[in-house]
Amino acid sequence: MAVKKDLSIKYLGVDCENPFFLSSSPVGGCYDMVAKCFETGWGGVFFKTVGIFVADECSPRFDQTNKEGLPWIGFKNMEQISDKPTEKNFEYIYKLKKDYPDKVVVASIMGSSDKEWRDLAKMADQAGADLIEGNFSCPQMTSHDMGSDVGTNVELVEAYSKAVSETTNIPFIAKMTPNCKNMEEPARAAIKGGAAAVSAINTIKSITNVDFENNTGMPVVNGKSSISGYSGAAVKPVALRFCAQVMQDPEMNKLLKANKKDFGYGHEMSGIGGIETWRDAAEFLSVGCRNVQVTTAIMQYGYRIVEDMISGMRHFMDEKGYNKLDDFIGCVLPNLIPAEELNRDFKVFPKFDNKKCVGCGRCYISCYDAAHQAIDWDEKKRRPILLEDDCVGCHLCLNVCPVQDCITTGEIKWKKGRKKVKVATKQHFD
Amino acid sequence: MSKVEKAKYTAEAQAGFNHRTAMEEAARCLLCHDAPCSEGCPAGTDPGKFIRSIRFRNAKGAAETIRENNILGGSCARICPYDRLCEEACSRCGIDKPIQIGKLQRYAIEQEKIFKMKTLKAPAKKMKEKVACVGAGPASLACAAELAKAGYKVTVFDREEKAGGVMTYGIVPTRLPQKVVDHDIAQVKGLGVKFVLGKKVKPAELEAFDAVFVGVGLWGAKIPSIKGTNLKGVYAAADFLKQARTKKAFKPGKKVVVVGGGDVAVDCAVTAKLLGAEDVRIVYRRTLEEAPGNMTEFQYALSLGIGITTNMAPSSVVGTNKVEAVKFKGRAKVTEKSELKLEANTVVFAIGQGAEDFSNLAPVKLTEKGMVKATAKGKTSTKKYFAGGDIVNGGKTVVEAVASGKEAAVSIIEFLQKGVK
Repeated sequence: MAVKKDLSIKYLGVDCENPFFLSSSPVGGCYDMVAKCFETGWGGVFFKTVGIFVADECSPRFDQTNKEGLPWIGFKNMEQISDKPTEKNFEYIYKLKKDYPDKVVVASIMGSSDKEWRDLAKMADQAGADLIEGNFSCPQMTSHDMGSDVGTNVELVEAYSKAVSETTNIPFIAKMTPNCKNMEEPARAAIKGGAAAVSAINTIKSITNVDFENNTGMPVVNGKSSISGYSGAAVKPVALRFCAQVMQDPEMNKLLKANKKDFGYGHEMSGIGGIETWRDAAEFLSVGCRNVQVTTAIMQYGYRIVEDMISGMRHFMDEKGYNKLDDFIGCVLPNLIPAEELNRDFKVFPKFDNKKCVGCGRCYISCYDAAHQAIDWDEKKRRPILLEDDCVGCHLCLNVCPVQDCITTGEIKWKKGRKKVKVATKQHFD
Repeated sequence: MSKVEKAKYTAEAQAGFNHRTAMEEAARCLLCHDAPCSEGCPAGTDPGKFIRSIRFRNAKGAAETIRENNILGGSCARICPYDRLCEEACSRCGIDKPIQIGKLQRYAIEQEKIFKMKTLKAPAKKMKEKVACVGAGPASLACAAELAKAGYKVTVFDREEKAGGVMTYGIVPTRLPQKVVDHDIAQVKGLGVKFVLGKKVKPAELEAFDAVFVGVGLWGAKIPSIKGTNLKGVYAAADFLKQARTKKAFKPGKKVVVVGGGDVAVDCAVTAKLLGAEDVRIVYRRTLEEAPGNMTEFQYALSLGIGITTNMAPSSVVGTNKVEAVKFKGRAKVTEKSELKLEANTVVFAIGQGAEDFSNLAPVKLTEKGMVKATAKGKTSTKKYFAGGDIVNGGKTVVEAVASGKEAAVSIIEFLQKGVK
C-alpha cells in the first residue's frame, strides 16, 4: 500500500494540491501542454510569460553541458517569452482555470513600460489567474527594457511591482534574476512596490560550450551565438543559496507586514533551479520555499517526473515522521550560519574500511596532490594508510572515493587547548 | 526460448563504442593510482594511461599510447584474453564488473584510423646494420617495428601471400576482421619495414643480415594417432581456418565436429557455422573449467547455436574414403563408460599446433618438440640469431608474441651496438 501523506499547501492564500509547479518556460506554453501536465499530477503552472511584446525566436536555441558522458549537467536556453499573441495566451489561461479549477494557474507577465505592466495585469485578472508572476529576470530578451536588465534595476522592480499591485488584487510574485550582486535588494524593492513574494532563480547568463567549427558559442545561429540563460542540475547550488539568503533577510517579513501582504506564513518564497527529484524539491522547501518550479528536468524527461516527486516526497515525510509540508519547511535555515560562527576547534578524521576498499588509490592521489599528504600508500596491499599527524580532516578523500561507505566519518580530534563540546557529524553518505 | 544469433563470416561480431558510449565506459574507470590493468598487459599497452586519455577527451592521445606500446594494438583489442589479463586485474571488479578495456582500446585505434594519424615515425638517419625477421606474424611484426623505430633497416620474410601470420590466416574474421590486421600492418610498413612475401626465404639470403629474428610460429598439423585420420574431410585447425579465409568458395561440410577446447577450436566451429554448416559441435576431452579457451568465445559459439560436449576424447574417425562419423570415449574416472558417435562430413582437430622442420633455415638449438630454444629475452644458442613468439613458447596468445618480439628487439639492438649476446 502506497504511503499516503498530505502534500497540499497554502501559497499566498491559494490552496495547492502539492508544491510541484511548472515554471514559466517552454514547458507550459499552450492549453494542451498544461492540461497534460495537470493530468500527470503537477499542482500548478506558471504559464509561459506573456508580454505585449511577442517574441521572434532564433534557431536552434538550446545547448547542454555534459561531463564524462553524462548529459544535461546544465542546459542553455535562448528562447524568450511567448511567441503567441497576447490575447491567445490569456484565453489559454482562462480555459485552463475553467477546466481545472483545483489546479493553480499563475499568469507570468512581462511589460516594457508602466502601462504595459498595468495592461497585462488587468488581462491576467480578467482571465481568472490565481496569481501573477512578474518576469524581471529573463536574461536573453532582445530589448533592454525587459527581463534581467529590469530585474537588476531596483527602481524599476519597485515601480513595476507597484503598477501591477495597484491594478489588481491578485497577489503578485516578482521573479528574481541571479545575475546580480545580491538578491536581497531587488527582493525588498519588489515587496516595497507591493509584491506579495519573490521567486528565484531565473537562469544564469552563460556560454555553455565553444564550437570550434564556427569559432563561436553554442548553439550556433548562422555562425554566431549569444550569451543566454543557464539552468538545470548545475545551477541548483546557486539557486539554493539565493533562496536561503532571501529567506534569511529579516527585512522581507517587516516589509510584507507593513504592506499587509503577509498571508500568515511570512515571506512565501517559490524556489526554482535544477530541481529534478523529490529530494531537490525537499531541499528548496528546507530553506524556506513553499513550492518549487521546474523546467529543465521536464525538457529532458517529460511531465512524468512528477510521479516520483510526489511518491518520493511522501516516503521522505513518512521516514522523517512529517505529516505536512509545513513540518519541515525552513528547517535548514537556523543551521545555515556565517563562516565566522562555525566551531573550528576540532578536526574529524576519515575512517577507512579496508574490506570495502578496492585499492584504486584515488584518496592517496587527491590527498597528496590537493590536500596535506596525509595518506600513505601500501603498494603491496594496495591500501591507504592515514597519517593522523598530517591529516587536517578536510575529507577530500571521502569525496573522491568511488566505493559506497568505504571512507566515512571517523574519530574527532580536538585542537590543543580548545574546549570540548558535543559534536554533531554526518554519518550516512549516499 | 533461446535466441540464436545470425552473423556473417566477414562481419565483426561485436559492435564498437562511439564517442558517447566510450566516454560512459571511461567514466566507470576508477583511474587507479597504480593501475593494475597496466601491470596486467604482457605487451605493456598501458590501459591505465590510455583510458585516462579517453576520459579527458584525448582519444588521439589514447591511440598514441596504444600504438607506441603495442604495434598490433588494433588486433590485440579484438583477440586478447582480457578476462585473464588486464580486465581480471581491474580494481572495478571489487565494485561490480571490470572496465571493457579491449573495447576502449578498439575505440581509440578506430579514432587513429578515422583521423589518419601517423603515430610512429622511424628516424631519418638509419643505422648501418640490417635485420631480417623470418615470419610475418605477431612476434616478428613487433620485433620489426621496434627495430625500425630505433633506425634499423628491417626486412620481414613470409612464405604466405599476406602478412599477419596467425592473425591473417588463423582467426575467424568475425573476431578479427582482415581490415583491422591490415591497418596494424600498415603501421609497420609506415616505419619503412620491407616485406618479402609469397616465397620461402633461403638460408643464404639471411647471410646478408647482421641479425636474424626467427618468428615462424607453429604451423605443423597436430592430429592424434587414432584410426581414420587419413580420410578426406579430416583437417588440422590451422589448415581449416586458412582454407576458409583464402579459398573463395570454401565449403565446410554439412556436419562439422571440432575437437579441442581453446579459442582456435571455437574459431573453427564459428567458421564452419558461418560458412553454412548445419550441425556444428565442439567436443573437448576435459571440462569447460579446464578449457584454455576464453569463456566469452564459448558463449559466442553457443549464441550461434553451436553445441559443446565435454569430457569426451576422440577414439576413431569412421568412413570409407570420406569421413562419415567420429567416435569418442569418455574420460578416465569421470565418464569412462560413456561412448559417443557423431555423424560428420568434416572433423577438425584443434588440439594445438606443432613446429615444422626448419633445421635448414637457422643454425639454432631446438627442443625435443622441435621448437627454438631461447631465453625470455629472445636469445638463441647462436650468435646473431634471435627468436620469439609461438615457436619459442609453444603456442600462446598474440599479445604474448608481441611482448616476446619487443623483448627480442631489445636484445638485438644490444647485440648490434655492443656485440653482446
